Amino acid sequence: MDAAEKEIFIEGHPCVVVDSVRMRYRVASTASSDADADTPKPRFLRRAVNKPNMVTVHALNELSLVVERGESVGIIGRNGSGKSTLMKIISGQSKPTSGAVYASSTPIMLGVNAALVQDLSGDQNVVLGCLAMGMSRAEVDRKFNSIVELSGLEKSIHLPMKSYSSGMASRLRFAIAASVDPEILLVDEALNTGDAQFGDRSKRRMDELREQAGCVFVVSHSLDTIKDMCTRVVWLDKGDLIMDGEPGAAIKAYQDFTRHLSKGNNISAAKILEDAKANLVATEVRGRSSRRSRG
Amino acid sequence: MSADSAIDEEPVAVQPLSVDMRRLTRVGSRPNFLDYLVQLWDFRQFIFYDARARVQSGTRRDRLGSAWLLLNPIFNGLTYFLIFGLLLKTSKGIENFVGYLVVGIFIFQFSSGAITSGARSIRNNKSIVQAFNFPRAALPIGANVRELLSAVPLVLAMLLIVVVLPPAEEITWLWILVVPAILLQSLFNLGVGLILARIISRVHDVTHLLPFVLRAWMYGSAIFYTYDRFVTHPQVLALIKLNPLFNVIDIVRDCVLYARVPQWQSWAILAAWALGVLAVGMVYFWKGEESYGRG
Repeated sequence: MDAAEKEIFIEGHPCVVVDSVRMRYRVASTASSDADADTPKPRFLRRAVNKPNMVTVHALNELSLVVERGESVGIIGRNGSGKSTLMKIISGQSKPTSGAVYASSTPIMLGVNAALVQDLSGDQNVVLGCLAMGMSRAEVDRKFNSIVELSGLEKSIHLPMKSYSSGMASRLRFAIAASVDPEILLVDEALNTGDAQFGDRSKRRMDELREQAGCVFVVSHSLDTIKDMCTRVVWLDKGDLIMDGEPGAAIKAYQDFTRHLSKGNNISAAKILEDAKANLVATEVRGRSSRRSRG
Repeated sequence: MSADSAIDEEPVAVQPLSVDMRRLTRVGSRPNFLDYLVQLWDFRQFIFYDARARVQSGTRRDRLGSAWLLLNPIFNGLTYFLIFGLLLKTSKGIENFVGYLVVGIFIFQFSSGAITSGARSIRNNKSIVQAFNFPRAALPIGANVRELLSAVPLVLAMLLIVVVLPPAEEITWLWILVVPAILLQSLFNLGVGLILARIISRVHDVTHLLPFVLRAWMYGSAIFYTYDRFVTHPQVLALIKLNPLFNVIDIVRDCVLYARVPQWQSWAILAAWALGVLAVGMVYFWKGEESYGRG
């Protein structure tokens, strides 16, 4: 940890810089609040005037990452650890409460949540989605067949989205999102979409995309997927960064942690978490605008 | 995710990284105003496709389909004719009251429809906004293009009614002036829609107020009476006549019903409103660009 004092100089241009990003939500809670107890109000008044008890949720505590070209970053953690929040922030879908994400080009999120318009038919949604990603009409026409093929919808492509099963819809979403070749690719649990036949096709397309992309972020509950794909693993827990490093070590620590948890050994699980955190070296981003800096 | 009460971060080792930020841009950042307009132009195919696809699908659920685009204002006109023409006799002193009423209602409905759908375009398409990165003003613009497209049969029907229903009016060259009037009106609608879209994306409650405001506006726009009959104070009258929608309606009535060249003052007032509100709306909407669909 002595090394932590010295500034490390990163050559070249990184793909993604996550600079002290933090995310909080204010949400309504149905639990009765303690604050109200101090200032008793008649119940009807409280109901009418007060908003429901608002609670702040720390979805992601301060976090910095520098990801260089060629890296594949796997993000692991339990449910609610902030994985998807981090992905949404990187892709620009949500704005962090503080901090910022810098990227060398627009990151594209490849997931099952790319939205479509229910009233329009599948083929109209293909065109609309592609145009919304900034393609030209000619480009859309060129890619149209391969998108339909990847989605495997065949004739159903002409039916309105309303009539699609959720599996069909998510296949179409994937096919639309996968039609661009992004430099920065974000993959959120998209691998387990649809049936086995589609799984194969989508995996192949995903591999293609991954090879072309400059850097990749993957969120998946399948640790095997992460192990296969990633050169670096980030472990989040309850919005905190726990580990950031070699896939082998991080996945092993995480597996130990979840094994202890599922056995009910909360104390030893907490110990693993503590140890990992104690060894963590957090990143601090110091931007420079010149090629060289003085030592 | 953890609740409010949790965690004070313990100090962790920090590793400063010096990063070359020159080629990076902040994800989701708002471009400057001119770049924004250029981006919008680049997304014109998206805007038109969105508009066209939705005109077709808008009434597919109804048995009479697109006929409702016409039947709606016709029934409206009939209702107002019964109440104001026959019962309350506000028609006194108005030449060709049926035509007067029809023009007023059709033209006003175009605005109220366009403003409403422009205002709701961001909220209603939240999922598209979250899924894709495109200049958000494309949605209110698309909504207005859509309304303009569906206004074409509406205006033709209006003209047909004026020609067919007694006292039948003759077609003159002045009718061409209806086109620029409606285009200016459409720009005005877009401006108002942009302003409201940003407000509604923040405070959704405004959607509930919108119908009331529009109704009040309609009653104030001399659709089934004339201003001159009820307002005697000359200054108040001049002030009321600044109403942009009244001016569109007045221009169209002059051209279509009374075969007289509309006053230049009406054009000036209408154009000033249209361009002014559009400029304000564009800038105001652009300022909120980073906030749409987030949080």
